[in-house]
Amino acid sequence: MHTIDQTEISNRVLAVLEKRFGDAARTLAADADLSDALPGFDSLAALEYVTAVEGEFGIEVDFVGDDVRYWFSTLGRTTEYVRDRVEDMAA
Amino acid sequence: MTYDTLLRSSGVVSGESDLWCTYAAVRTLSWLGRVGDLPSPETVAGFLASRQNSDGGFAWSAGMSSDAWATYYCTQALADLPAGSRGTVRGSSSAWVWSAAHPDGGFAMTPGQASDVWATYYAVRTLVEIYGERPPQALFDWLATLQAEDGGLAWSPAHAKGGASDVRACYYAVTAWRTATGGEGPLPWDRERLTSWLKGRQSAAGGFTFQEGDDTDCLWATFRATSALSRLDETPRDPEGCVAWILARLGPEGSFTRWPGYPVQDVWAAFCGVGALRELGAELDDIADGVVETVLSFRTAQGGFTYRTPGLASDVLTTSAHLMAGHFSETGEREALRWTESCVLPNENGIMYMPGRGSEVRCTLWALSAGAFEEDAPARTRIAGWLTGTIQNPDGGFGYWEGRASDMVSTAAAAEILHRIGGDSVAGHLRDIAEYVASCETAPGQYANVPGGRSTLRATLQALRAQHRSVGADGALVGEALARHRVRGGGYANEGNRVPDLLSTYEAVLAADAFGLEWDAGHLAKFLDSVRTADAGFAWTPLMATSGGPLADCLGRRLELRLSPERHALPPLTLS
Repeated sequence: MHTIDQTEISNRVLAVLEKRFGDAARTLAADADLSDALPGFDSLAALEYVTAVEGEFGIEVDFVGDDVRYWFSTLGRTTEYVRDRVEDMAA
Repeated sequence: MTYDTLLRSSGVVSGESDLWCTYAAVRTLSWLGRVGDLPSPETVAGFLASRQNSDGGFAWSAGMSSDAWATYYCTQALADLPAGSRGTVRGSSSAWVWSAAHPDGGFAMTPGQASDVWATYYAVRTLVEIYGERPPQALFDWLATLQAEDGGLAWSPAHAKGGASDVRACYYAVTAWRTATGGEGPLPWDRERLTSWLKGRQSAAGGFTFQEGDDTDCLWATFRATSALSRLDETPRDPEGCVAWILARLGPEGSFTRWPGYPVQDVWAAFCGVGALRELGAELDDIADGVVETVLSFRTAQGGFTYRTPGLASDVLTTSAHLMAGHFSETGEREALRWTESCVLPNENGIMYMPGRGSEVRCTLWALSAGAFEEDAPARTRIAGWLTGTIQNPDGGFGYWEGRASDMVSTAAAAEILHRIGGDSVAGHLRDIAEYVASCETAPGQYANVPGGRSTLRATLQALRAQHRSVGADGALVGEALARHRVRGGGYANEGNRVPDLLSTYEAVLAADAFGLEWDAGHLAKFLDSVRTADAGFAWTPLMATSGGPLADCLGRRLELRLSPERHALPPLTLS
């Protein structure tokens, strides 16, 4: 099975954000809070973000059990979350 | 009624900008040639642009569906701002407006809803004035059917058959025609009867009312009447008296108040006062400075405007939410209720969202649920009369306020109010509600917010609650809907069964209780844990880290109280 490293995951998550937020996402720091760094990152945009990440990596997020507001609050945390989920699926 | 309570305000302030207020403020400044006085027009543009949805339309607030009204207000207000400050929006709203075109020739406020003259007016202005497009030819046949027997124009063809003429409907219809034709071509109504009806709404004092039988002149009605007459190349019977009546509405700070005896200079009064004087060709230079200064003082930190000085801009939903969440002291509670009870217009017996705008069905339910008019039986009777005698649409449903096409949120709110205060005399009206509900059924036991919409959990539960309050409903259908939208980890989703939200979960528990169905307390507790925030509030969804505001905090708190050993009952609220 193909495995993906952390850099590849981060780049693909960033691409998801760039598609929705354009230039504002291009210079995003890994630890920047998305709701502060991206204009218009409201509850609806957050949902679109999570759904797009699910589609990009073929994972399913548990919206109640997974503390989504923590894991999807920065690029770095999302990357870490996705890596764990992809590894779980590969195990 | 006196409005002294409103002068100081003992309600609760949300601190947020409001779209209607922002549109009215920008438009007023534009008419006065004073948009340049805006200290930071780009923040206004940012607020307006934040209302755009991915479908291209605009909504009243983030997360709500697009509608024709919000789309016109946002696109027009953005166009009024200086060119360099408008920022960028996602794209044209034209395709979205066309998606709300109704086969009968009018436009609906949202796709799938019945057409009404409010929506048609906003859609036509957006298409013609913002995007330079032409409305459909069938529009003129639809407009022609709005003339009622008394010569005035009504909200919809069905309203016209019942004879419900209103000055606002006249203005919206005449302006839609004028905008679409440039004033050329045949008028789709009997001109003499229409102008005679409109002129007949002017009182001896000089102002206008909306409808025959109204007893208090109002600046909004005066603006709409003078505008409609102007577009018909007519003037009021007594134009000088009209100008004098309008100028008599100027308050001590140099801006306008809405009607005699009302003390608050608000943004809608400024909009209506300036707009009406402009239509009458009156001098504006003498009043401009006072109006501009007052309107600019209504800006909020969010970038847009509210209806009055922000520190005093209470609203009924926020105040009711605080009351139901138990945030007031006993004295504060009494004062907040007294303030809420004063939010009633002279000619309209429902409760307003903000003092000075029209009475709204949903806000009336929130206010009554919070305790308003609990010891005032005559006021409750007047509210029931307003619902059954004025607001209920010919299809049996209710819209947000008078003349708006029916939707499930408002219809369920009306059913709950009538169940609570209506008594035996409203049985026929409740049966009519059931007819509207039936028109929104998309599959057995599944309902949409409007007849042509998609089914959702909330619309389904609201429909079944409304039926329960009217002709009765099968609790098994509620159980099936809850099973379809139950999220495994906790809570309920409005669509599908993956993303739970606070509002859908509130509706789910409320409906289960109403039908005596069992629900899982642990499942609800897990969901509440996922939306409880560090600032001691509640988020609308598990995705957000901060409180969703007073309404979300109220719903979360009431669910906590429902889980408490006392099992406090949930108020039968609807929101969206």
